[in-house]
Amino acid sequence: MKNRIVSFTVNGEAREVAVAPNRSLLDALRTEAALTGTKKGCDVGECGSCTVIMDGRPVNSCLVLALEVEGSEITTVEGLQAADGRPHTLQECFMQCGAAQCGFCTPGILVAAKALLDENPAPTVDEIRFAIAGNICRCTGYTKIIDAISLAARPGAQS
Amino acid sequence: MKYFEYSEPASLDEAVALLRGGPAPASLIAGGTDLMVQMKEHVRQPAHVINIKKIPGMDDFSFDPRDGLVLGALITTRQVETSPITLRHYAGLARAATDFASIQVRHRATVVGNVCRASPSADTLPALIADGAVLRIHGPSGQRRCAVEDFCTGPGRTVLAADEIVTHIEIPAPPTRTGKAYIKHGRRAQMELATVGVAVRITLDDAGRVDDLAIALAAVAPTPIRAERGEATLRGHRPTPALLAAAAQAASEEARPIGDVRGSAAYRREMVRVLTRRALEQALQEIQP
Amino acid sequence: MKAATKTIVGTSVKRSDLLAKVTGDAKYVADMTLPGLLHARSKRSNIAHARILRIDTSRALALPGVKAVLTHENVPRVLHAGSPHPRSASVTCDQYILDDKVRYWGETVAVVAATSEEIAEAALDLIEVEYEALPAVFTVEDAVRPDAPQIHDREPGGNLVLPPVVVSRGDIERGFAEADFVIEGEYEGGRPTPAYMEPNACMCQWDGNGNLTVWISTQTAFMVRGIMAEVLGLPLHKVRVLVDHMGGGFGAKQDLFQSEFLCALLARQTRRPVRMEYTREETFLGGRTRHPVKIWLKQGFRKDGTLSARQARIVYNSGAYGSHGPGVTIVGTSAMTSLYRCENVQLEGRCVYTNSPIAGAFRGYGVVQTYYALDIQMDEAAVKLGMDPAELKLKNAVRAGDLAPSNHPLIGHGLEDCIQRGMQEVGWAALRRRARDAGGPQRRGWGMGCEMHGSSAYPGIKEQGNAIVKMNEDGTVVLLTGTAGLGTGAHTALAQIVAGELGLRFESVSVMHGDTDVVPWDIGAFASHTTYLGGRAAQLAAVEIKRQLFERAAKLLEAAPDDLESADGSITVRGSERSMTIRDAVAPRKGIPAAQFVGTATYHPTKSYSFAAHFVEVNVDIETGQITVLQVVPVHEIGKVIHPVAAAGQIEGGIQQGIGHTLYEDYQIDMRTGRSLNANFVDYKMPLSMDMPTIRTVILETAPDPGGPFGAKGVGEDPIVAIGPAIANAVYDAIGVRFRHYPIKPEQVLQALREKQSAIQSPEEEGVPA
Repeated sequence: MKNRIVSFTVNGEAREVAVAPNRSLLDALRTEAALTGTKKGCDVGECGSCTVIMDGRPVNSCLVLALEVEGSEITTVEGLQAADGRPHTLQECFMQCGAAQCGFCTPGILVAAKALLDENPAPTVDEIRFAIAGNICRCTGYTKIIDAISLAARPGAQS
Repeated sequence: MKYFEYSEPASLDEAVALLRGGPAPASLIAGGTDLMVQMKEHVRQPAHVINIKKIPGMDDFSFDPRDGLVLGALITTRQVETSPITLRHYAGLARAATDFASIQVRHRATVVGNVCRASPSADTLPALIADGAVLRIHGPSGQRRCAVEDFCTGPGRTVLAADEIVTHIEIPAPPTRTGKAYIKHGRRAQMELATVGVAVRITLDDAGRVDDLAIALAAVAPTPIRAERGEATLRGHRPTPALLAAAAQAASEEARPIGDVRGSAAYRREMVRVLTRRALEQALQEIQP
Repeated sequence: MKAATKTIVGTSVKRSDLLAKVTGDAKYVADMTLPGLLHARSKRSNIAHARILRIDTSRALALPGVKAVLTHENVPRVLHAGSPHPRSASVTCDQYILDDKVRYWGETVAVVAATSEEIAEAALDLIEVEYEALPAVFTVEDAVRPDAPQIHDREPGGNLVLPPVVVSRGDIERGFAEADFVIEGEYEGGRPTPAYMEPNACMCQWDGNGNLTVWISTQTAFMVRGIMAEVLGLPLHKVRVLVDHMGGGFGAKQDLFQSEFLCALLARQTRRPVRMEYTREETFLGGRTRHPVKIWLKQGFRKDGTLSARQARIVYNSGAYGSHGPGVTIVGTSAMTSLYRCENVQLEGRCVYTNSPIAGAFRGYGVVQTYYALDIQMDEAAVKLGMDPAELKLKNAVRAGDLAPSNHPLIGHGLEDCIQRGMQEVGWAALRRRARDAGGPQRRGWGMGCEMHGSSAYPGIKEQGNAIVKMNEDGTVVLLTGTAGLGTGAHTALAQIVAGELGLRFESVSVMHGDTDVVPWDIGAFASHTTYLGGRAAQLAAVEIKRQLFERAAKLLEAAPDDLESADGSITVRGSERSMTIRDAVAPRKGIPAAQFVGTATYHPTKSYSFAAHFVEVNVDIETGQITVLQVVPVHEIGKVIHPVAAAGQIEGGIQQGIGHTLYEDYQIDMRTGRSLNANFVDYKMPLSMDMPTIRTVILETAPDPGGPFGAKGVGEDPIVAIGPAIANAVYDAIGVRFRHYPIKPEQVLQALREKQSAIQSPEEEGVPA
């Protein structure tokens, strides 16, 4: 069993971890990189809890090998806040609207929502539903999640 | 996942050499959205995983009105979903790529990967078959071509040898007065493995008769199939509602579905009938008068 | 001053736990690590009913990195209830940590602790098990046959989890004699599961003095402490249970799942901390499902639409172990004494072992099943009577003074209020008169369904809520509560209650929870009782603080304590300008130390009932059989809303689960072998963002309960009960087909439409609605 070094950027910070080839990006983020915000809900790409943004695209980190992200830029939920700790507009709107209950799906949905707004700053409700179709929430019924993302997308909301 | 060796070849020949001479069994990884699941569920346990994303020349996405579309092996379903080219000329394939899975998966999964996985319920396969798509395959003795329709031999099995790599898909340019559609049947609106998939391509002549058509069915046989009797019902005739219904009925009789936790054989057969008719209606609506 | 109190209680204040959740800082058990941590995995049976003849762990132990392997041969043989209510009638004492028998496909037979998850997983394949297959039964019908294999060797026998539950009121024979017509039907419920997003996880560590610390995703920290101590043979003060954040439970995380004891034993043997996380597949295999059910229901109606008799036989499928079978059977059966008024009731509920996945506590607790049947049958009766179903239900709705299932008189007219308000909101009368869809394959329909649910598990469990409130020397307050934080926002509600009672700003109250060494005992979060029970205890403790506070402030303000009021952090003398901040009242003064105010309270509730009526529009595609829920107007009466957004969130989430129950979710097994067929999210289908309807929630406060804080009652379970029958009734409105089961599959819709069509074409066949 031979570990290899992989270098990548997470939330703007250069990181280097040593992993075996059969280590997923999700496990490398949570363990080697000690970023436990991204969650493991199913480990087979069915629930979206492990969503991260990789080179601008939302992906399931449980379906990416750690060794594949050499040179890539990864954003996790921990990278949404501003450098001074101020919450991102999406995070503020989630809190305001009550869009999180148990919170386990929340990091994955926030990251998927950020990817959506980066690509489509003014999504319709249907577009929001479509963008988070791969994120399972069992607590909220999605209503307030959609409200929160709509609120964050309103012009002037982004601070 | 069990431990495996990992390589990132820089060329097709290097990849083929690794397939021939490296630890076995070996699996190629492009998007990884099938292979990673299979490895975690112990369905496949390769000793060697070969990442082909560093190989140049496989990210082509080019269209020519005469020669048609060329998609490299690294083109993702997301790229196909959002391209104005596919939305305009290959509407069935674009729909298949959209209904395919979550956006997280669509950003990684490749069309070629979906083809090579050869699942009977794959989304892109019926659309590609209906469009007459052809695969370009690279191996130790050079390049060969294979129609997508002839590629799958059984659930998860293809004609691909252990040391071959699919590098491109070539899809003919659609003639004028052609409409395409793909309808996927599942319990929920998204995130489904098709219980039934129907892709159609239909071309009308100047008199409004069906000049050519293809009806491809997924999830109702060990591989995707052409509903040839359904096609024969319509070919050369005007596509009246009665004839569309007859074609759909014929297609449903050609289907050989099984029953499983997702649906009974009888229900699948009935859905072939309903969705073939709806897909034909939809494709006809696409045709500019 | 009342207005200021209402400003906090009844306002959707910013929830204190949400910041950590949206930043990713919130730690769930799988996020926690300790030096030297080992990873544990379970080996599960691949046979449904068998004796273990031989289990060989030598090759697993020899794998480098494996530190311990446990089987039934080297764990204590202690019979326990799995579900941690050691002294209640709700649960069943029929589990061993590991047994020499397996009773369902996927039961744990061994556990491994290793230095990595990969090694632990590899070790599972190296454990050899030789089974002697035993005959298995997978249906209730097979299990109750006289010659059926006995799954457990315990009373009452006959594969019954408990003796039949019999509930009677009035005189059933007289009731049927009075009836002008009788309606009878059979109803069936499938097997949905809670499918919480956080897979079960726990981490255990012992110190050198034999003290055990358990970090665990649970709803019932003190129960975990109690049963871990009991099974491991420890006094309670040597077991500490810590719960920080948990990712959903919905009732199922009240149980211990075999794995927690094993995790503790592995930690003790290896002298290292051990963490065990379920895979998603294991949350199905080793988790808890809803009880599948078959219900025979017969009711007698008078011509005027009132009920004269109700008789039912309810049979729940418990799966391989009893878990909450007794509680579910008692609560689900007793619920049928109520909802729609009937003097003469005769009910029998049974719970039967089969070699199937274990059914346990799940939001709605037996009542999802029985009210599905009861409410649909009311709709059927409405057709027979030529009455509008909402009017019929309104006429029969229970009200003030009627005996609740707990045998207490109900307070107020909550159910009637819900029905009337819902009818108004959707324009029910006009909907009923509307022209129907003519052409095309899409058919729309409207339906409504009702429910009631109790807050607290009384009388099955005599519960107790405790609270300690401490006021700091700057006037801020800490509430120590044993109540669990499931994610519902309950702790925020408790903080609001304390702030509202004391007249503090919401931000001045913090909540300490989740450490059994520190917080007072609490039974745990279930039975929709956290706000009602924990909140009332918190309120009473705050009242005690207020008494001490006003006593001190009165001297400083030169007034009588009775003349004082507090709001927004200040105390004023009623009718005067004299005031001071709470902070100043408490603070030290020259020669006088700061006040040390502590208030404690214990609350023994009885029961309060909340009500709901859901109004639902569906679309049915009559060519594919697919049903889509288009919109839901849920009307809930909950006494007093503490946090409107959190209450609405509970309702919307419960609706998602109920839509899943009714249309999509069924955890299935192979009926020959018992093997799970869909222990994954691909084929266990929950409604996702694109499947959810618009939801317009209406909350009423017309029947507050004096036993609840500010009159508040629970809301957690009501939504999942009402939505199911509302959908089924809407489908009837759309296509004239009556379904008496869930989930309703598209294939069944097509089959029923075909049968209806052929019945119309041969009108001599009876019994099909036109």
